[in-house]
Amino acid sequence: MKDGDAMAEDPRTCSRTAEDNGDPLVTLMRARQLIHDAQSAIEEVSKSVVQQRSASAEIPERQLRLAKAETEREELATRLSEVEHQVGRLMTLYVATYQLHATLDPADVQSTIVDIAVNLLGAEQFALFLRDEDANTLEIRLQEGPIDAPWSGAKTYAGGDLLIDASLLDGMLRFGPTENSPVLVSVPLRVQDVTVGALVITKLLEHKSKLDEEDRELLDLLGAHAASALFASRVYSRAARKLRTLEGLIKLVRKS
Amino acid sequence: MNVVKTRKVLVVEDSRLIHKMYEVMLRPCMLIAAHDGREGLARLRENPDVDVIILDINMPHMTGLEFLGQVKANSEFATIPVIIVSTEGKEEDVARGLKAGALAYLKKPFQREDLLKIIGRLTSKQPSP
Repeated sequence: MKDGDAMAEDPRTCSRTAEDNGDPLVTLMRARQLIHDAQSAIEEVSKSVVQQRSASAEIPERQLRLAKAETEREELATRLSEVEHQVGRLMTLYVATYQLHATLDPADVQSTIVDIAVNLLGAEQFALFLRDEDANTLEIRLQEGPIDAPWSGAKTYAGGDLLIDASLLDGMLRFGPTENSPVLVSVPLRVQDVTVGALVITKLLEHKSKLDEEDRELLDLLGAHAASALFASRVYSRAARKLRTLEGLIKLVRKS
Repeated sequence: MNVVKTRKVLVVEDSRLIHKMYEVMLRPCMLIAAHDGREGLARLRENPDVDVIILDINMPHMTGLEFLGQVKANSEFATIPVIIVSTEGKEEDVARGLKAGALAYLKKPFQREDLLKIIGRLTSKQPSP
């Protein structure tokens, strides 16, 4: 295609051609202007190409950033879920402690221990042993479920189960069952380094397969707090009983 | 988790320990406490606008299933979602509870997250108070 043909196709160029027909200077000026316009257009296109190239270069980087943000979001979601779980565990421990110390009635403390064993640990068969200081025996205070053990149904525990005996002796949690013991766990109840009893679990609820690490925390808590709550409530009830006796005596003396 | 915010929850449960547990776990909720089925019905008559009922099974005077039967038989309360939370965890126990009209069954010991999820799921179907 000739230049003249291209110019003839442009309506703007055609009109100028008509006006400036025959003046070579004007034609030259117009040619210069056209070249200048073309250069500007080329520059603009080049700039746009450069911009597009740099934008395309940023795409992988942006994709990387997006992937990183997505990973971080997933990590945060996992961490949030872990924190929620931890909060739940702490709430359980708090409530168990709170409820153990919420009363000074030994029967209520005992009932709370049963509640914790059943509702928070999922125990189906268990027994609570408490030391009777006067008789120097280990009294079986309560027994939940038909426990298959030689001491089951007795009033006191005279020893014989190696796992229970070991935990009573050294004050440590002992997990079973073993060849010599049907006990799943024996939780020594300790006050000021003295073992005053034990919570002995022999069977869990059907839907609770085993005692896990979180249960261990609760068992540790029971070992310390159940004992001190029981001890405090027994001391208080003894003191209250003595006080009532003294008040009765004073009343009698005043009457006479 | 704020899924349980502003909900009114009737807790029918005989264990004081578990009542305390709900009090701590469902802090933003308004809890109404009942210690057996009979008391549960009385509290429900006083508060017919409860959003959800958390129900134990083994309770004195009136069991959870008896309570549930009465709730479902009453047109005023029948649509209130009921979650059974119980140590009774056998398949037949769960089936019995769901057949009686409970919308969810949670076995004790339970995780707080599971309870919140269930409450959130059941109460999100209703308009917020």
